[in-house]
Amino acid sequence: MVASHYDAVVVGAGGDGPVAAWKLAEAGRSVLLVEAGPFYGNERWPKPNESPGAESSSSVDDLSGALLDEQFTTRELEMIRKLVFGPADHERGFWLRKFPGDGAILQCAGVGGTTLHYTGCHPRAYPASVDEQPHWPIDYADLIPYYQEVEAMCEVTPAPVTAKEELFFRGAAAAGWDLLDGLNVTEPGYRPQPNAIRQPDPRLHVDAGYGGDFSYPDVEGDTLALGSIAGHPFPRGAPYEEKAKRASNISFVPAALRTGTVTVRPNAFVTAIETDSAGIDHPTATGVRFRDTWSGRVETVRSEVVVLAAGAIETPRLWLNADLPRNEWVGRGMTIHFGDNVMGLWDAADLESRIGQDTIDQFQGQDIAARFDYPGLGMLQTVGTAPGIGAILGFGSSASGFAFQNDPADAPWDTVGRLAGAELKRLLSGYRRMLQVLVVSDDRPHRRNGVTVAPGIEDEHGPIPLVNYEPSAGDRQRRDRLAEIAAEILREAGATHVHRSDSPPTALHVHSTMAMGKVVDEACEAFDVDRLFVADHSALANGVGGANPTNTGQALAARTAERILERYF
Amino acid sequence: MGQHVRLWLSELWEWVEALLAGKSTPDESELDFHVAVTARAVVDAVVPETPELGDELGAVAVPGGLAIGMETFLVTFVDGLFQFGFPHVGTRGNLPLAVPMAEVLDVAADALVARGDNESEPDVERAVALFDAGDTSPRRVRRNAGAFATLSRRDRLRALGLLDEFELRVSPFGHGLFEFDAGLVGQLVVGFAEMIYYSEWDGYDDFSLPPSERTHPNDPAAVQGWRQTGYPGVADGYAALRGYVGADDSPLGAGETWTTLDERVDVVRESGTFRENEYDTTGYEEPYPE
Repeated sequence: MVASHYDAVVVGAGGDGPVAAWKLAEAGRSVLLVEAGPFYGNERWPKPNESPGAESSSSVDDLSGALLDEQFTTRELEMIRKLVFGPADHERGFWLRKFPGDGAILQCAGVGGTTLHYTGCHPRAYPASVDEQPHWPIDYADLIPYYQEVEAMCEVTPAPVTAKEELFFRGAAAAGWDLLDGLNVTEPGYRPQPNAIRQPDPRLHVDAGYGGDFSYPDVEGDTLALGSIAGHPFPRGAPYEEKAKRASNISFVPAALRTGTVTVRPNAFVTAIETDSAGIDHPTATGVRFRDTWSGRVETVRSEVVVLAAGAIETPRLWLNADLPRNEWVGRGMTIHFGDNVMGLWDAADLESRIGQDTIDQFQGQDIAARFDYPGLGMLQTVGTAPGIGAILGFGSSASGFAFQNDPADAPWDTVGRLAGAELKRLLSGYRRMLQVLVVSDDRPHRRNGVTVAPGIEDEHGPIPLVNYEPSAGDRQRRDRLAEIAAEILREAGATHVHRSDSPPTALHVHSTMAMGKVVDEACEAFDVDRLFVADHSALANGVGGANPTNTGQALAARTAERILERYF
Repeated sequence: MGQHVRLWLSELWEWVEALLAGKSTPDESELDFHVAVTARAVVDAVVPETPELGDELGAVAVPGGLAIGMETFLVTFVDGLFQFGFPHVGTRGNLPLAVPMAEVLDVAADALVARGDNESEPDVERAVALFDAGDTSPRRVRRNAGAFATLSRRDRLRALGLLDEFELRVSPFGHGLFEFDAGLVGQLVVGFAEMIYYSEWDGYDDFSLPPSERTHPNDPAAVQGWRQTGYPGVADGYAALRGYVGADDSPLGAGETWTTLDERVDVVRESGTFRENEYDTTGYEEPYPE
């Protein structure tokens, strides 16, 4: 059993919870960091998917790069089964969450949370999405010192250029867009991703004739092997903290453990928030109850403050399943960056003349290393994938049926819709000559969109999240315009065939379901419950303009930890 | 149609509940066989054998998912995909979705035909043709083939396209109402099926082993989907660095130019840094006001 009392309990060791835990612990507070999924790369759980292992970890010495190498094979199907939101036990399936249509929610379980899957992209919010859209009660300027702190911890730098990024940049420049070089983006243009991935060893330059192997210590930093969606253990052989991708398990969790006052409790699903006075108008949070996902055993831990960081689906689900005051915005106003995929396919000769080789080989380089920003619309980013994830992401689903049922006529794409059968096989035979662009739109908070629960529709942790999402007309217009820009860039880069998925709503980035100003105050403490804070993407007041949300979620979590210290310690 | 599906699914869930509660059903093996026929029909439509691509792309492009037994894995995968912790079956139960999946596909096929949106007439001999001669008896196939397996490949895909229209409300295990998206079935049999086919799955000795005991040769020779895409397998790294984007008037990029993107922007040897720039949002206009 972990201790019975802590200064703070943080619910969720995902992208943001460890940031809050680290800041609180740096100030000398004792923290229990509770996580529903397993703890990969930790010697206390040598086979985290096969046996329960230990109960908790409180020492940075438990971390093991060698175990991470063993567990993160980067084989895509295996890693999806390991990382997507479900219990550690490999014999059990994912936790079911209801989502409309044939879309899906991408959540991960495990210490590191969805940053285990993320591609390291760490841009800031677009300033206008905070200062000019009507949602945020604080200014963008308030976030800047926290961005700087997070960017230093995550070692955010401009992403490197390999063949696929050069091709995209050539297309963007030819389409007339400008190169952006600022961290605070107010105009449209293209730029390298600000990535939380250490830059590659300079010896990996194409001209350097490198003939060695790609493991540490022969090479340090990233090895350009496209592993982010599948866990990214590179460079192989490196100690835990020398792994190139600075996901929260690599950046913030070791820093938190090093303080000596943080305990990480994986395989523990929080099912209730304890209060001093359940049922009254304005209770005070006093702790949490959690359930061990292997044994089913239930424990209760008391704390001075409770910090919810279970993500924008699970945090409101937990609130709604707890005996807490009703607030009409709990779970509502969800934004998911309503997205799409636009794919370009090239002829070999056209590639040769543009990038000096007759294939793109999207499996080389960082997964996502080139981007296009358009404040007010959202963003585009190139995505390199292995073929399985590429197929489900780009071709496996659509809101407009199969491609053979659609005639795009004058549209800027040659085909639109789902692909299957001979069409799919023909297109994927060109995998080495194709590049997908992910369309990520600045969808806006609408109360109808979000998380509810219903009695009876439940699993072992209570009623499951029922997620609703219906984009507005404006959301669709922003996405359509971005898809057109993507097609123009691919054409200018020489693509001979452009395909648009017209993807159904799919929740890759999820935010704003416990929004600041609606559910929580400017310190991210609940309006209706004392000593209950939210430190994850659900507290974001909107979708930060369509930029990848990890940096902003972490910056806000760092700020919230400071506010907690000011108010209660 | 929606009503038909709901009624039908209620009955189906009762059956599933009975099965999970350990009550035997007399035609269990035949129901499994119906699932098997349907799974073959799915794989044959989504990743078919394509002799027509042979001339264009070579013999490597011809075999489909049935050649590597993907239909069997698809059923296992679908049945193990979600766990639901029902009180009746203990907290470790996975939700057996393959049976409802197959039945939902038949309902969709019936709907397609009822609307007259099929291009070819259903024919049970299509289901028979999904098996190699000698695999099983044609009579057994004819007896167990559902409507989905009797459609042409294209019509099977059309039927799948109907699934997104339905929000199904069922009552699993007698505990309240559960909204079950038929769209999930479409996602399973198209999106997930494509992901499995092109992933490393084909190369495992046995994917059902615990992760630490699986072996995988990481060789396209062992993975049909890799051979058909040219994907070389997972790698520890590539010497693929070209440099960093930079411009003369920008802190991004430094050092010698490797190549020029346009008159102002180059790929250079060193990265430089992003600017902590002043910003001004006062001129911001919503491109599409809400």
